[in-house]
Amino acid sequence: MKYFNNPDRLVSLLWQLWQGLGVTMSLFGFTLLFSLPLGLALALLRMSRHKALRLPVQLFILVMRGTPLILQVFTVYFVLPMIFGAAFERLTAVVIAFVMNYAAYFAEIYRGGVQAVPVGQREAAHVLGFARSQAFMRIILPQVIKRIVLPVSNEVITLVKDTALVTAVGMVELYRVARNAASTVGSLEPLFIAGAVYLLINAVVSFLFNRVNRYFSYYQG
Amino acid sequence: MLQAENITKRYADNKVLRGVSLRVDRGEVVAVIGPSGSGKSTLLRCLIDLERVDGGRIMVGGETLVDSQAGGYAGKAALRRVILKMGFVFQSFNLFPHLTVLRNVTEAQERVLKRSKREARERAMEVLDKVGLSDKASEYPYMLSGGQQQRVAIARALAMDPQMLCFDEPTSALDPLLTMEVLRVIKGLAEEDRTMLVVTHEMAFAREVADRVVFMKEGTVRCEGTPEEVFDHPEVRAFSSQAPKP
Amino acid sequence: MKRCLTLILAMVMLSSLFLSATAQEDTSLKDILDNGKLILGLDASFPPMGFVDADTGEIVGFDIDLAREVCARLGVELVTQPIDWAAKEMELNAHHIDCIWNGMTITPDRLENMSISLPYLRNDQVLVTRTEDGYGNLSDLAGKKLGIQAGSSANDALDAAEDFKASLGEVVPFDENLTALMDLNQGGLDMVLVDVIVANYYMAVNDYPFTVLDESLAPEEYGIGFRRGDTALCNKVNELLLDMREDGTLAKISEEWFGKDITIIGEAE
Repeated sequence: MKYFNNPDRLVSLLWQLWQGLGVTMSLFGFTLLFSLPLGLALALLRMSRHKALRLPVQLFILVMRGTPLILQVFTVYFVLPMIFGAAFERLTAVVIAFVMNYAAYFAEIYRGGVQAVPVGQREAAHVLGFARSQAFMRIILPQVIKRIVLPVSNEVITLVKDTALVTAVGMVELYRVARNAASTVGSLEPLFIAGAVYLLINAVVSFLFNRVNRYFSYYQG
Repeated sequence: MLQAENITKRYADNKVLRGVSLRVDRGEVVAVIGPSGSGKSTLLRCLIDLERVDGGRIMVGGETLVDSQAGGYAGKAALRRVILKMGFVFQSFNLFPHLTVLRNVTEAQERVLKRSKREARERAMEVLDKVGLSDKASEYPYMLSGGQQQRVAIARALAMDPQMLCFDEPTSALDPLLTMEVLRVIKGLAEEDRTMLVVTHEMAFAREVADRVVFMKEGTVRCEGTPEEVFDHPEVRAFSSQAPKP
Repeated sequence: MKRCLTLILAMVMLSSLFLSATAQEDTSLKDILDNGKLILGLDASFPPMGFVDADTGEIVGFDIDLAREVCARLGVELVTQPIDWAAKEMELNAHHIDCIWNGMTITPDRLENMSISLPYLRNDQVLVTRTEDGYGNLSDLAGKKLGIQAGSSANDALDAAEDFKASLGEVVPFDENLTALMDLNQGGLDMVLVDVIVANYYMAVNDYPFTVLDESLAPEEYGIGFRRGDTALCNKVNELLLDMREDGTLAKISEEWFGKDITIIGEAE
């Protein structure tokens, strides 16, 4: 017990964790903000009838899902500066890597959702005179969203925990703060406190997704 | 109203349509019958561009959908005009599950025909009333029986004010009792002098409602004519004696 | 997107450019003075050299005090940048940091990849064992399990001691010394190879029932790592450290952290 009998030290740790949490949540927020729409764009390209659009995206998704995220983080942070000369900010670099990685996963979730909508829905829209884009936005997409809520929630929860990977490029986020504190006091207590914080975030995430899921239960099929 | 000439269509090595011609005049009810795999559903789907033909010519209400001798398929705008001339009812209803019955019927009116919300709603209530479901307007499709869902699908097609209605085995997914209620609605429409093309397994229904019956087998039209003529044809008699009775 | 893809694929080819891309004019000292700051890369979990103070949350340590004094004399600001220890060379080469100053052992490999200052502290790689096991010397440890921080100089020391390494049963890599020492405490390891300074720190804060073997692997020295070719900056820092030895500042800082002056600047040469 290096913290619970030492309130000043505990307060100091919580303050440091709070600052680390800021970094963790920025990475989390920016990643979702950009990867959710980018994933949709990738999914649409992936389902394109044109090979020239489909194949590069297919390869991109293969590489993004097929290589370790941490390697992608290294690539953006260490390799791109050698090509473009200028280095990215740490946060910018990891957000780029995370967005590309998560967009690839989201793209496949979206694609699965689109394919799970019966072909009859598209045919019904067609015979009613909907243009393809109209049919997608009005008929297909709303049904896709219901189908992807649960798989997307899985990814989002994973993302919360994946943010800890960025310690590899020296980002001082929640986990790194706890690790440094652990090294100083020679105890794992700070790591467990950080673990509780991750759990709390994901409890909120789960709660929100359950709400969304319940919202879509107004219809079946 | 509708003219299809020498339509051919194949999936890989399987020749589904081997030069089929079909014509439906204004105000005429035509029933297409035939065993499974005879190509009758494929023919119907080609007429509204759900499938693309390999050869032949299709004209709807004076507009050319496709003419393999002269330029192939029409442009986007013409395709759309052809599609809007026809209402199409599927075997599997294909209602939009995330929309209420009312919005299933108003959505295309508003988005495609650009009718106002009020106009679309009024027209929707008219056609729902016609199929006897105006009291279900605010329910979702999953709450309805199969027969009710199919009647909503018919209302959805009618609301677009098409010049012609196509039915693709509209009762094949329904049990006999529900089949009756859907057939009653279709019969009611036939009596309004609408132009209709019905692909069906219901022999008695075809005999009763159709002005003309077309019998297809193995991708060709074997015979066509008045119900009396066609049902007297030996091949048709052999077929209809095996077909399930409603 | 397509471009990023090709970039990743080109990674392997580009890594060969790492070494060749540094043949330019040496503006290292001028750059630091122009920027008005020195970015110091550190692991931040390496007490007492550089770590996060548990009570204040500040990065503190012997190295930090030393660097702050050097920066004051240079007239620039000291900026501490936590990095992942395993990525330290990449951080340097990508110009994300200006130096690595965090109890870094001078090794032949590192001399090849960096410009390194004069040695300023002596370090031994020592073997920490459980007192109850009663191990006395290296030969007692044959066939036993050793824990080590991945990417640390303990690895190099172990590689250099070929016979000893070959005699071991298993070598288990850890991200941090702390976790290795905890594993030793709970019996998952028979020994941990670690910097003597680190060993003393943890044995002091945690009352672990550990014994440090008298026999150590090749004694080593700590140095400050700069980008390869940043000789002007490296020389200037050497010069300032020697000044600090002369005027007693170095001894004072050492006494604050270790209770006595254990620095070795200027001794070897």
